Amino acid sequence: MPVYERGYTHWRPSGLKALPAWLVIARRGVTGPLKRRRILLLVLLAWIPAIVKGGIIYFRLKAGNLTDLLGAGWASIGPDGFLSFLEGQRFFVFVLLAVTGAGLIATDRREGGLTLYFSRPLSLVDYLAGKAGSVLFFYLLITLLPVYVLCLEAYLIAPGATGLTMLLAIPARATFYCLLSGVSITLVLLAFSSLGKRSIFVMVWWAIMITGTEALAAIGGGLGSRGMQALNFLGQYHNLGSLVFGTAPRIDVPAPVSLVMVLVWTALALAVLRRQVRPVEVVS
Amino acid sequence: MDGTVVKVNPATGGARAAIRVADLTFGYTRRTVLHGVSFTLEGGAVGLLGPNGSGKTTLLRCLLGQVPLQAGRVEVAGFDMARQARRARARLGWMPERGGVIPGMSGVGLVAYLGELAGMPARDAMQRAHEVLHYVGLADERYRMCEDYSQGMKQRLKLAQALVHDPAWLFLDEPTSGLDPRGRAAILELIADLAGNKGLGVVLSTHLLADVEAVCREILVLREGRLLARQEVDGKARQPRQVFEVEGFGDEAAFLAGLEQLGAEVTRDNRLQLVTLDLARLDGGEAVGGDGFDPAAGTGAILEVAAATGFALRRLRRRPVTLAEEFYTLVEG
Repeated sequence: MPVYERGYTHWRPSGLKALPAWLVIARRGVTGPLKRRRILLLVLLAWIPAIVKGGIIYFRLKAGNLTDLLGAGWASIGPDGFLSFLEGQRFFVFVLLAVTGAGLIATDRREGGLTLYFSRPLSLVDYLAGKAGSVLFFYLLITLLPVYVLCLEAYLIAPGATGLTMLLAIPARATFYCLLSGVSITLVLLAFSSLGKRSIFVMVWWAIMITGTEALAAIGGGLGSRGMQALNFLGQYHNLGSLVFGTAPRIDVPAPVSLVMVLVWTALALAVLRRQVRPVEVVS
Repeated sequence: MDGTVVKVNPATGGARAAIRVADLTFGYTRRTVLHGVSFTLEGGAVGLLGPNGSGKTTLLRCLLGQVPLQAGRVEVAGFDMARQARRARARLGWMPERGGVIPGMSGVGLVAYLGELAGMPARDAMQRAHEVLHYVGLADERYRMCEDYSQGMKQRLKLAQALVHDPAWLFLDEPTSGLDPRGRAAILELIADLAGNKGLGVVLSTHLLADVEAVCREILVLREGRLLARQEVDGKARQPRQVFEVEGFGDEAAFLAGLEQLGAEVTRDNRLQLVTLDLARLDGGEAVGGDGFDPAAGTGAILEVAAATGFALRRLRRRPVTLAEEFYTLVEG
């Protein structure tokens, strides 16, 4: 039987509502990795600090030891405690984003996927928003979501003691900080992804960016050089977090300088993405 | 991101709308690839022929609105591609030559995903994905991962993703590249069916003349970014210089002298006289509508000369020219 006799019919729309293109891309970027066991395991591991912190909050609140809880430190339920918690998540942020985000654009470039995407009615912004959305999802999954859960726990166990701080102030600050840092970190990762064609190389560059700049900053700290500390990639975000949460600076760099550094990285990332993400690669 | 959901084909999906290209000029960095290309396509299957680097793929990308136009105007399916490329792409299908298969997804998953990106609701996209994969002959392999497909299956998969949203026009870039003869024949059969029976417009870019002859009704020939010729594949040539085979008896010298007055060049091929006429120099040589040249003017002129010189014609016909001959004549100048 000739192949064409199997029939081709024109599509008749059902009238259902279609999702925006960026959401379709983001959904695919989230559901794909979540089918992999090692990523699920990584997410579970990333939640262990939150579980531990939750346990400490529970027992201290039950014991009525509020003075300790409201003080500084990782286990406290004050602003400093939550910023410390978010700082402590940096290893999981580094690994989980590398695993889920490094190949997002690199694979499309290697496999000629960009030309397929841009043969559809979507713009560069749709494409980037979709890719960034999936990375941001994983970032928020191990940073902001645990903060919400911990705040809720504290509020439910001792509502009178925690009051509006736990109900509104900390969740609002954490939301602002996590979205700000999350969007910026995501764009930087996607920029790296757009520069390569293989995930593994993107991961290597990402590791160098995170650990390399941190090592440089540590050396700079030893030498008393503020300039070198300003290179610390994740450190700038945490320093910015101190501004948002109203705590002491995390590194020996003024918070406005950290803000400028974050804005510069974000702008650079956008410039790279704008240049690299095209349906047609021009080889000059 | 404006969150706009582009509504794709209404129930009339696949309805044809013309492609109009006027004075299109485009280049990458400092190199101009297309120079003032103009043509209009109403539908059916059209072959885009040209040697490597002649600008075929670039022209297709301009038609898709994937690159910003530098000069000229491109209108596809009623949309101005300088301003409405996104909306137009909801009605266009694109089968790239290289790549085009996103790993980590099953065949049906990939086709449905790209259908959703074309503006289809998720349920419609999945249903259509099953249908088009069945149509292209991948029904049994649709749940396999794309990266495990053979080259022939990948080509079919690429055709399926181009069809999933029921486009009005299909742009195919070397669709039979890397296929064995059987796979090639199957793909060409599908393309011919889509253009001939299903009402889709097809632009087929290739350097394989046999593919064009098998599927297309007319061709556009590009050389160094310029549209060199446009003609029908069925032998109704549109070139001004055409060759006629003549055989007869009578006063041959007078007949040849009469032909010379028409500006004809005559050579002998065994018993046949091969008369090359420039139709542009004949009255009525240009076809009605100014679209090419009419071979009937040539046969009419030769008949008149034969009648005037008393030369009895036993045979007179325009020499059929193969697409390959025409192509190489055109491209090699």
